[in-house]
Amino acid sequence: MRRRTLTAVLFVLIFCAFSRPVAGQTRNATLNASINGLARLSLSSAAISFPDADPDTVPSIQATQGPITLTAKARTSPNGSITLTVQANDHLRSGVNTIPASHITWVAGGAGFTNGTLSATSAQIVAVWTGSGVRSGTQTFFFKNLWSYATGIYTLTMTYTLSAA
Amino acid sequence: MKKAVWSGAVATAVLLLGSSTAFAQQTATASIAVTASVNAKAKLTLGLAAITFADADPDVTPLYTSAPVSVSVKARTTVGGNVLLTVLASGDLDSGSATIPVTTLTWAATGTGFAANGANSFTAAQTLGQWSGSGNPTGSHTLSLPNLWSYNTGTYTVTLNYTLTAP
Repeated sequence: MRRRTLTAVLFVLIFCAFSRPVAGQTRNATLNASINGLARLSLSSAAISFPDADPDTVPSIQATQGPITLTAKARTSPNGSITLTVQANDHLRSGVNTIPASHITWVAGGAGFTNGTLSATSAQIVAVWTGSGVRSGTQTFFFKNLWSYATGIYTLTMTYTLSAA
Repeated sequence: MKKAVWSGAVATAVLLLGSSTAFAQQTATASIAVTASVNAKAKLTLGLAAITFADADPDVTPLYTSAPVSVSVKARTTVGGNVLLTVLASGDLDSGSATIPVTTLTWAATGTGFAANGANSFTAAQTLGQWSGSGNPTGSHTLSLPNLWSYNTGTYTVTLNYTLTAP
């Protein structure tokens, strides 16, 4: 009799133990993952320079640093447009003497990148892509070398802007 | 059931809140400093390396005149820098012991900045052209020598040295 009672108690305990998890499986759990827009740009060099050269033998001077590598990381909406532009802060300037910023051009390499001419008045397209991702490409800069330039050390700053719509 | 409805409303609110941030335009910037060096330079090109006056009867050809010699000047200098082209003879026209004064060897030049006329000298460089600032002026000049009965026979030579300077 005592053994039967013990068996019945064990049965009840086992039933209760298994019945509670079955009731829990019917509840819902909501997972929210926030993926926001983000843009990040890195350049392989913070400066480039064009050495002096004879305009007759080197009519177009390549930057000493060679190709500059640009890496653009962007998160955007599906089919969102990602644009990389560059603009000079001024013409090449050496004191009061200037050389047009447009005398600097580049040859591009990499998917989405395009060749172009620098401007101090409007941002120029360097590359365009669609959708999120990480893209890399190169720009090799050239300086138009003319006899008409006044001697001097000319400088300007190029500012790149990566936009993810 | 009531609890489930509230959970759904809260989840929707969270998604809407997140979406306003997710679709805002994102930008990143970077910059590169550019330097271009432009140094002083001078380059001179003459269309001919030698001029020859053939013998002629002084009565028929009283003045030897060369073909035009083109002159190309290329100079890089400071703004307003004085670009100067001069010519200096190595001596008089010389044929052994006989000479003809180089000062009688004259020129006539055309082109902006070129001296329209001048006479050669071996004692002082003569200005053939002068310009202000960088550039690539071009012109030409002809050389002339009187053909006189008084000359001794011979083959006379002289070298004219042209010098272009850009400070």
